[in-house]
Amino acid sequence: MSEHTHKKQSRRHWLLWLSVTAVIGILLAAVLSTGQDAGTILSIFSTRFLGIFIEAVPFLLLGTLASGMIEAFITPEDITRFLPRNPFLATISGAFMGFAFPVCECGVVPVVRRLFNKGLPMWVGITFLLAAPVMNPVVLVSTLSAFGFGQILIGRFVVTAVVAIAVGLVFALGAKPQEVLRPHAALPVTGGSGQIMLKAPPTPRKPLLVGLRDALQMAGDEFFDMGRYLIIGSLLAATMQTLVSQETLLALGRGPVVSVLVLQTLAFVLSVCSTVDAFLALAFAGTFTAGSVLAFLTFGPMVDIKSTLMFLGVFRRRTVAYLIILPLLMTMLISIWLNLNVVF
Amino acid sequence: MQAVEHDHTYHDRNKERAQAWAKALLLLGLGLYFVYNIVTGNLANYVNARFGWLSYIAAGLFLLLGAISVGVLLRGQDDHDHHHDHDHTPLTWGVLAIIAVPLVFGTLIPSRPLGAAAVEGNISLNSSISTSSITTFTGDPLTWNVLDWLRAFNQSDDLSSFNSREADVVGFVYREITFPDDQFMVARFTISCCVADSSAIGLPVVFADAADFPADTWVQIHGTFQVGEFRGDTVPLLYADTIKVIEQPEHPYLYP
Repeated sequence: MSEHTHKKQSRRHWLLWLSVTAVIGILLAAVLSTGQDAGTILSIFSTRFLGIFIEAVPFLLLGTLASGMIEAFITPEDITRFLPRNPFLATISGAFMGFAFPVCECGVVPVVRRLFNKGLPMWVGITFLLAAPVMNPVVLVSTLSAFGFGQILIGRFVVTAVVAIAVGLVFALGAKPQEVLRPHAALPVTGGSGQIMLKAPPTPRKPLLVGLRDALQMAGDEFFDMGRYLIIGSLLAATMQTLVSQETLLALGRGPVVSVLVLQTLAFVLSVCSTVDAFLALAFAGTFTAGSVLAFLTFGPMVDIKSTLMFLGVFRRRTVAYLIILPLLMTMLISIWLNLNVVF
Repeated sequence: MQAVEHDHTYHDRNKERAQAWAKALLLLGLGLYFVYNIVTGNLANYVNARFGWLSYIAAGLFLLLGAISVGVLLRGQDDHDHHHDHDHTPLTWGVLAIIAVPLVFGTLIPSRPLGAAAVEGNISLNSSISTSSITTFTGDPLTWNVLDWLRAFNQSDDLSSFNSREADVVGFVYREITFPDDQFMVARFTISCCVADSSAIGLPVVFADAADFPADTWVQIHGTFQVGEFRGDTVPLLYADTIKVIEQPEHPYLYP
């Protein structure tokens, strides 16, 4: 580890502590401004925070377990073997990898980080990161049971795939892996390029029991790596909700443009897991435009408060900004266009 | 450089060992916290019962991972080399403290469902926020809950058709300063997946001694509807015959 990365790391810790201080400060402000007693506010805050945590953490654990399994049982050669050589085709296949690794947005981050280490090209990983929380069998079933087979279901999957592939291609054309990934996520060999791997010596496959033991140990380590981002993200989300209620946001507007912005903000703030957000979106379907519900169902799984925090564990900060802004703008434009031009 | 590259002095190794124990205990602690929530039923304060099985998975996995960490420590196996091969940012007390936050909240602050104080004026009289458009009304109207009634109102063209219909509902008492003395609302929170998406709904209740029931009291109300004015809207008001104070129900939230 170089001095440079160490400096980076202490800066990131600084960022974490800043968030914690912000949470405490905002809570104090909330106590002072609402005039309710501190005990009541703390109790409500605690219920909200633990609610998000309890709902999300099983998915994070399953994600870290999947990540451990990948580390133990998948060799870099597997990835170079199964992934198309053509960068464009590889990016498209990245959008469908969620059907092989079914994870939501809490679980996808450790998995994608592990796949980078196994030599997955950076842009394919980014497409996977954005697409997998929607493009997987679990979300297919939950969306189907909430909305039935129809425009919302098809729209959700098509828009997600299109946006994820587009963002992946933007990164493929415009960025170098070492500029995108945090140094330790790009280690050990390939810089996430997937190319140098071909020259590396073949990795021996582990026997089943040894592999399982390693996978579980690594899942534990990974939980501590990723869990802190989840917890701070949940704290921030709970703080936001204590300050700005869902009803305040929903009252803002229901026009074809404003409704999209409102539901995107709501998706970002609520940080609800992608595997269950369809049931929540169903509640808005009656009163909000179909385009905005689609924006909620496509943007929310890609980016929200807690996943943003988790992105910071893998990507450089500038990349994280792109990972928020690009999906935000793309889903926004598509949804508004649908609202204005397509009668649902 | 020397700040980063630990030469493995006695002190460092002791610290790493202490941190490894803290990590193992945190994993076990989180596992036990989930078990505790499941056993006490507190889980219903946080998530939709439909997703309760996820917490069983979390409890099992935390306990498994914790047990493995303890096993490694007890065997005295120095698996440093193992760890340092990988891409982990080193464990620090700061990270351990963050992971402990849910345990601190879970153990120090008594577990309570969202109540009247969490409503903060945002209570919905028409269930637009928490209703799906596809609803069929079946069963005895006396078994309908607050949400069922609001849905029925929402889909009706003529609210006066509810006049003198009987209802028997459960909820907590919610009151705003503007309410007259003989009124409060019988309220519930609805959640789709967890309290993150909670929203409050309620029915206005009229009862001569309404002031006897403090906010947040759980009550079972029997009465009949009569359309009237409430907060400037014309809505069915529930004129109560009897109000019974009850224990908080096993599932404090309604699941739309």
